[in-house]
Amino acid sequence: MSSLGDGPTRRTFLKVMGASVGLAGAASCAPPDEEILPYARQPLEAKPGVTVRYATALMLDGLATGALVRCRDGRPIKVDGNPGHPASLGGAGVFEQAAILSLYDPDRAMRPRGGRRVATWEQCVRAIRAGLGHDGGGAHLILEPTSSATTLRLLARVRERIPRLSMYWDSLEPPSPQVRQYDLARTRVVLAIDADPLASGPFHLRYARHFAQARRVGDDMARLYVAEPTPTPTGTMADHRLPLRAADAAALLAEVLLALPAQSVSAPVREALTRIAGERRHGPWAAVVARDLAANRGRGATLVGARQPRITHAMAHLLDSALGNIGATTWFTRSALLAGAESDGIAQLATAIESGGCHTLIVAGANPAYSAPADLDFTRLMRKAGLVATLSGYEDETAEASSWFMPMAHPLESWGDGRALDGVASVVQPVIRPMHGGRTVDELLAALMGENADGLALVRETWQAEARPDAWTRALEQGVVEGTAERRIEVPVPTAEIIESGAKTMRPPALELVFRTDSKVHDGRFANNAWLQELPDPVTKLTWDNAALLSPKTAARIGIQTGQHVALTSFGRTLAVPALIVPGHADESIVLSLGYGRTGELSVAQGAGVNAGLLRTRSAPSIADVTAVPGPGPTHHFAVTQTHWSIEGRDHVRHATLEELRHNPDLTSDQRGPVPSLYPPIHTTAPNQWAMLIDLSLCTGCSACVVSCQAENNVPVVGADGVRDSREMHWLRIDRYLEGPPDNPEASIQPMLCQHCEKAPCEYVCPVNATVHSSDGLNEMVYNRCVGTRFCSNNCPYKVRRFNWFNYESHIAETLKLAHNPEVTVRERGVMEKCTFCVQRIRGAQVVAGREQRSLHPDEVRTACQEACPSQAISFGSLTDPTPELAAGLADRRRYSVLHELGTRPRVQYLARITNPNPAMASQP
Amino acid sequence: MSAAAAPLIIGAGKQDVPAKILAPLERAPRGWWLLLGASAALSGVLVLCITITLTQGIGTWGNNIPVGWAFGIINFVWWIGIGHAGTFISAFLLLMDQPWRASLNRVAEAMTIFALVNAGVFPLLHLGRPWFAYWLVPYPSALGVWPQFKSSLPWDVAAISTYFLLSALFWYLGLLPDLAAARDRVTGYWQKRVYGVLALGWRGAGDQWKKHRVAYLLLAGLATPLVVSVHSIVSLDFSIAQVPGWHSTIFPPFFVVGAIYSGFAMVLLLILPLRRTLGLEPLITERHLSNIASLMLAMGLMLGYAYIVEAFGAWYSSDPYERYTALVNRPGGPLAWLYWLTVAINVLAPQVFWSRRARRSTPVLIGVSALVLVGMWTERFTIIVGSLTRDFLPSSWHGYAPTLVDLGLLAGSLGLFGFLFLLFIRWLPTVSMSEVQRLQFQLHHGEQPDAGRDG
Repeated sequence: MSSLGDGPTRRTFLKVMGASVGLAGAASCAPPDEEILPYARQPLEAKPGVTVRYATALMLDGLATGALVRCRDGRPIKVDGNPGHPASLGGAGVFEQAAILSLYDPDRAMRPRGGRRVATWEQCVRAIRAGLGHDGGGAHLILEPTSSATTLRLLARVRERIPRLSMYWDSLEPPSPQVRQYDLARTRVVLAIDADPLASGPFHLRYARHFAQARRVGDDMARLYVAEPTPTPTGTMADHRLPLRAADAAALLAEVLLALPAQSVSAPVREALTRIAGERRHGPWAAVVARDLAANRGRGATLVGARQPRITHAMAHLLDSALGNIGATTWFTRSALLAGAESDGIAQLATAIESGGCHTLIVAGANPAYSAPADLDFTRLMRKAGLVATLSGYEDETAEASSWFMPMAHPLESWGDGRALDGVASVVQPVIRPMHGGRTVDELLAALMGENADGLALVRETWQAEARPDAWTRALEQGVVEGTAERRIEVPVPTAEIIESGAKTMRPPALELVFRTDSKVHDGRFANNAWLQELPDPVTKLTWDNAALLSPKTAARIGIQTGQHVALTSFGRTLAVPALIVPGHADESIVLSLGYGRTGELSVAQGAGVNAGLLRTRSAPSIADVTAVPGPGPTHHFAVTQTHWSIEGRDHVRHATLEELRHNPDLTSDQRGPVPSLYPPIHTTAPNQWAMLIDLSLCTGCSACVVSCQAENNVPVVGADGVRDSREMHWLRIDRYLEGPPDNPEASIQPMLCQHCEKAPCEYVCPVNATVHSSDGLNEMVYNRCVGTRFCSNNCPYKVRRFNWFNYESHIAETLKLAHNPEVTVRERGVMEKCTFCVQRIRGAQVVAGREQRSLHPDEVRTACQEACPSQAISFGSLTDPTPELAAGLADRRRYSVLHELGTRPRVQYLARITNPNPAMASQP
Repeated sequence: MSAAAAPLIIGAGKQDVPAKILAPLERAPRGWWLLLGASAALSGVLVLCITITLTQGIGTWGNNIPVGWAFGIINFVWWIGIGHAGTFISAFLLLMDQPWRASLNRVAEAMTIFALVNAGVFPLLHLGRPWFAYWLVPYPSALGVWPQFKSSLPWDVAAISTYFLLSALFWYLGLLPDLAAARDRVTGYWQKRVYGVLALGWRGAGDQWKKHRVAYLLLAGLATPLVVSVHSIVSLDFSIAQVPGWHSTIFPPFFVVGAIYSGFAMVLLLILPLRRTLGLEPLITERHLSNIASLMLAMGLMLGYAYIVEAFGAWYSSDPYERYTALVNRPGGPLAWLYWLTVAINVLAPQVFWSRRARRSTPVLIGVSALVLVGMWTERFTIIVGSLTRDFLPSSWHGYAPTLVDLGLLAGSLGLFGFLFLLFIRWLPTVSMSEVQRLQFQLHHGEQPDAGRDG
């Protein structure tokens, strides 16, 4: 080699090149002018590559749900439930889970502005303070209802310092001073009327957990009666479901009350009830329910939905008190929401602006231009309001009409506090620095008083007074402040006069229009969250849209079909909405979700659904009179993830009544056990053999698992057109089947995910060995080997495989990439993907166990879906060393395999759904 | 065969075969440029749609979950099937000693090759990541991974590449004497040289003929089993799966019959205008047409039998999913009209060929052939898409609709086929001169025609 002589050798060439590159680089890199410090010491808790969990709480409608947020390298990537928080008990709902995506939403407002010019926070505050003057005369402040003690404290001080500033809540009515609490775990008979306690409302995670406990299959299994206008997850769980118009809820309750033994209710009350009960259309049903409730005194509960008028709640109170349930399974506490008595609702604000008494309007965290009742015409009012300053997370409808705008910090970026429905307080701690310099409502309130305090200082000050110093640390670690739960209070039983006055105002409409908060975008605040937009509604499986839900009969009467527009006219306002026929919907009732048809600068929410708020008036914000005629507009093609509802007589979802189970305990024996096979038995040499068990008796179909899976596994969204083309990417879906008459069919649901078949049909058809079996029983997908023939999907009888039709991840915003779980590969175009049993968690746990030279603990690996499930319907573990729940489930004689006869030997096993119908109802329709 | 009375060559011994056959090499036939332009434009559509597919992804097609395979695989099976008639005519009939094939085999083989070119495009395109298609080929990879031999897709790759190679070789070998004849006849400077090179020094010497005939016959022997095996393997792409409607043991013969059926239809569609335009009526006579029509009738009857057995097998299996697919969904589901259209075309339409007049009527032949090509395409649609739209769990059932790209690819592949075929009739002898001359000699001298098997 030396004969090459004087020419540069490869080595010297590289040396010279390296040096010159280094010199060129050095010339351009000078230290910054400011003093900088090397990263010599690792900050506390900043462990590269290690996931750290922080306790915090997320607010919805002013109430807190505790959460543990997984952070990785300083960025939150996943929200789990907080087992110590009363509203979570370890479960996490879809809204909490999806907060991660909202945090990284590229549409979030990023800078303050004055008019159209970029401004600073200080400039905004200066302008607002100028508008406030010295005493706040002519200035108005509107806030969302909240349970925050810090906000309360600041508001009290604001009131002192700026005495003439008027304050309003962004709600029509002040919150009720007391709330009902339930302990569903101790119930035997539950009656839910126009309520969805298991899947919506501030305590639904808790209720789902507790009801699941009451619902353990056995002799004292609880029974659930549900009467509701449109099917909900709770209705799906019901043993007896009655399609009932929301406006007829009071009448049904009256019938139940009247069917109780005569001494339960006083004579004057009976008289009023008789008037409310009217024609007694639900007599037999109500009678059976009443008998069942009466037979279970002190072990029943009646739940009534939040949209129901006070009279209905009063009657439910009457019922529960007559049955001795008050104090046993249910009781009252003070509301955790700040008492609204001292402030007015948005209608009063509208009056104030209309009368010209407003020259400064401060909107703190609310979006009245979208959410206020249509007859207030708030957007027009805002133009008369003089200076309008808005603090909001998005350049939304209100921001559009504002002269000053300040970005609001996301809850995961904020210091704050809040209380759960039962009063338990949590400190909200940020898990990331505000990405876009946003501020909190508390910080804005402080700034109104000329103080420049940060969120942490404000919250500490609140709790300093109440808690010992070490309690602060514990509150942050645990996610709850000890000893803050509301005590039980006595609430007098409604008198005959109250019922009487209710009876007078009751005028059920011929055709009712029910406004509901949506299962996915709530009141519209989550409309820009693509995970939630693409989450199939638990009942209709509708994505990216809302619709006028109505029964087959009502649709036939109006003369429309699914997809056709129906023109709804209510209080002189008309709106054309595409109709969606829902089997099991109450007749002469139309249910419409709020939260769609957003018009702000929200690229995701753009074009999704119609704004039901345009029909909503202050006199009937929940249940309204409406007329419906076939409307104009082309037929709308809904993006639904399931289009075939009949199970075609097949037995994928096994179910039986408790009675049937008693007579035939082995009812699923035909769908388990060995099947003849030509293939050799699989090797099960690895120390762990992973398996999952899903109890169909407990699953409500709430879909928390679906979002959890999406967040954990970087599952992309495909948009409405993608869903229409049947290309949604969810690794875990919830199938819903209907059997029986379309006016009230029996629904059955089934979470469906990769079954990790021991003899997997996908594996032998892959031409390139891209889907193979691991020694610990996983059906593995090797992305970088996949060429995308899709043969595996064709041959998968469960159709759980998902294909990357496009490069879904290549065009997403940089901030959204921060939401990705770094443990999970982001898949490229043209490869197949599917549920992995959260293999990254399995391998992660194995690495930890290996380092500690021990074997895995039975419950060391929990899948994302399992973690999120509020009713604990999913158990996961190793067949070789199962958790007690898994072991019990595997031994349960309700266990079966879906499509057992194909011989796929799935590792996902199901427990047949057992219902507990009342034999007395059998004689009733 | 009832057509035996009709002559194989009209005016045997009096025809200047080479002059007739080589005429297009000197001057484009009427309308050639027009057709070439049209088919080139359609090929352009193909190129455009391929570009869209490769740059944006398979999402530009109408496929979905559950319908993982649709137009791409249908087109693939359809084109492969069409190719089969070429091999059937040139190799199988050669071995079966059917002298009438001599006038047809060149066209049929060309058709096979061009159909295979088209067929090869689709399996490549339908991959999510076509740039890794070579992973299906067994080669000692540095990754240390082999294809999965349990899957029928690597079998497919082997079967089709073998088929293409053999068909091309067989075709070229048959062309050699004709290329030499072209070399001797054409006058253009470049033409002479190109044909000269392609003829590989063929002089027509006795020992060359001897070796040629041996090689030709050997290749025919090799190609003949491929007529059966290739489409059998293609059918295994479906029948090894457990999808109801695919999982059927009748598939290999069923697919082979369908393949040859559609191939004959395409042969007819090609030779009917060709014999008119190029004046080949004396060489491709009514007897040829009648023979092919009779074969189509036979194939149609066999397909009808297969349809019945398919349904019977599903019923007999007592498998509820098979039964649903074959007895409920196919005849009565959302795609039932396609199924009944398929049955009507493939089974009923060829029944006109019981009539001797229909077998010799150009309009009837063209009409039935075109129908059969459509019918065989819809049959694959019914099997592939129809079965996938509704399989085991009803929650996943979903329909299918093609996109413009899907339609463009299908139309474009027809364009490419036409384009290649038009180039072929302009530049290569469309009828095997050597074989026809030999047949003419035998007929003229009252010898027993032997289809060239004496090697």
